[in-house]
Parts: sequence; C-alpha cells; structure tokens
Amino acid sequence: MKVKHIMVIDDSNTIRMSVQHTLKELGYPITPAENGFDGLNKIQDICSKGEDVAMCIVDVNMPEMDGISFVKEFRKTDQFTPVIILTTESGSAKIEEGKNAGASGWLVKPFEPSALKTTVQRLIR
Amino acid sequence: MLRKENSKYGVPMYMLHPGDYYVTDQKCLMGSIAGITAVVCLYDPGRRIGGMGHFIIPGTQGTEDILFDDISKEGILKIEYIMGEIVKLGGDRKDLKAKLFGAGSYPGTDNNPLTLSRSNITFLHDYFRNEGIPIIKESLGGRHRRKVLFSPVDGKVFMKLLENNMDASKFIELEKQYVDQVFRSGDTYGDVIMF
Repeated sequence: MKVKHIMVIDDSNTIRMSVQHTLKELGYPITPAENGFDGLNKIQDICSKGEDVAMCIVDVNMPEMDGISFVKEFRKTDQFTPVIILTTESGSAKIEEGKNAGASGWLVKPFEPSALKTTVQRLIR
Repeated sequence: MLRKENSKYGVPMYMLHPGDYYVTDQKCLMGSIAGITAVVCLYDPGRRIGGMGHFIIPGTQGTEDILFDDISKEGILKIEYIMGEIVKLGGDRKDLKAKLFGAGSYPGTDNNPLTLSRSNITFLHDYFRNEGIPIIKESLGGRHRRKVLFSPVDGKVFMKLLENNMDASKFIELEKQYVDQVFRSGDTYGDVIMF
C-alpha cells in the first residue's frame, strides 16, 4: 500500500508543530512546508518517490505563494485530494475565494484540536 | 484603538487599547501602555512594514511546551493576526524582528500577578524562539507600567517606565476590562466550514 502524507503548509513553525502534534495519532506521516511554493515542491518529491498525499492543510497568508494560489495550482493536477484551509481569516469574501479555488473546507484559527482531527478523519476516509 | 491624525510628532498616531493590534507600511507611531498585559512590536526592517499587538496569556503556563498548552492560544492567535497582516503587505516572517514590553507584576490585580507575569514572559520567549524571530529589545516583568511608542517602518521604540499610575488611569481601566474578558471567555475556537 502507498504511503500517504498529510501536508501541513504554514509559514509559522508554531502552527506547523501544533497541527503535527494534534494529528500524530492518526498515523499518517506529516510533511511540513513553509509556503505554497514549498508545498508544491514537496508534493512533487513525495509523488516522485511513488508515495501519495492524503490531504493538505494550508494557511492563507504566506510569503512567496499564499494558500489560495496554492489550492488553484494544486487543483490543476489533482481534483480529488482534500484541501483544508486553516487560517485567521474569517471574512466571507475570502472564504468564497477559497471555495472557488477548490478547497474542501475552511477552519478558522484558533482551531479546536478535536475538530481538526474529526475533519481530517472525515475527509480522508 | 484611537487614531490621531495630527499628533505632536508630525505623523499619525494610533493608540492601541488592550486587545488591539494594528499593522501598516505607512510612517506613523503606534502607542500603548502595558501593565500586566504585553505589548509586542514586530517589524520587517527591509520592507518597512511593522505592527503592534497588545494582549495577555490568560493563566498559568504548565510545564508543557506552549504548543500543547491551551492558554497559549490567545497569544499565538494575536501574534498570528499581526503576522498575517504583515505578510499581506509583502513582509516575510523570516525577516521579522521583535521588541517586547510589559507583562509586569504588581499588587492590585485579581490573579496571582507574579505567576501571571512569569507565564506571559515564558510564552513570549518560547514563541519567538520557536519561530526563529530575534528579540531585539525587551523590557518585561517588574513592578512597572510601560508607555511604549513604536515606529513600525523602522522598528524604533521609545519606552518610558511609569513609576506611578499618572497618565495611565484610562488604560488601567481598559486593561482590567480586557483581562477580565479574556479570563471569562475560556475556550473559544474558530468556526469549521465544510464546502
């Protein structure tokens, strides 16, 4: 069976580690990335090793490539892998932008660990 | 937050109340008075973007890392707001520098002031170490209120220790209201929206 990674794409080390800690018991390898561009590169590395991505958790405001741009790029080659936006942004226009880009869900920080875990489990199933 | 267009310093002045944050790439001054609360100034000197946030970690930090300690989330969230706005204006977390003030401990507060002060100082040090953001200047703890003026485009700070409560009576009341509200609000989390 293919190894499936959960991508955690956020420019904050604190948030990456906190998400990693929350999801570790689900048993998936967690691959951190610092921005959308870094995320796409790491996904390419994962796929080139014959492994797969189970889901992406991505922040919105990041340097180099923001979360919405990441979702748009990612969706050009992958229509099905779930992508959750995890952000401090809660404005309806931004949420609509995320939805239109192809995100599967939107979680506003601070996240409740159990809610994040449940959402991930539901989408990966 | 109060905005004064024509301050005596010749640039717009923003007075942040406890709980507020503000980020800009425009020349101005941001000011606040930190008592038991903390004032965090972040700036990207190369891109001339900066912001200030005024908040408190509501409780005593346990022995766990801040990542796993629930009371840290108020502080992490407030700093995330500032970071997010700085990034929107073109800044990069990797180039940020921090200046930290407040988290004082003095009698008259409802909670154990020394423990609360230590918790907030520990949080700030742990958070910025985790993020790899250098703390360029800090004045934390002790039995002082601190009046802080911050120039966000170049990171300059002017700080004055207030030996008594002169000039700070309004802030003392605002701080008390803010701290009470943060302690009362308990576990508040963001929404989950599925598409």
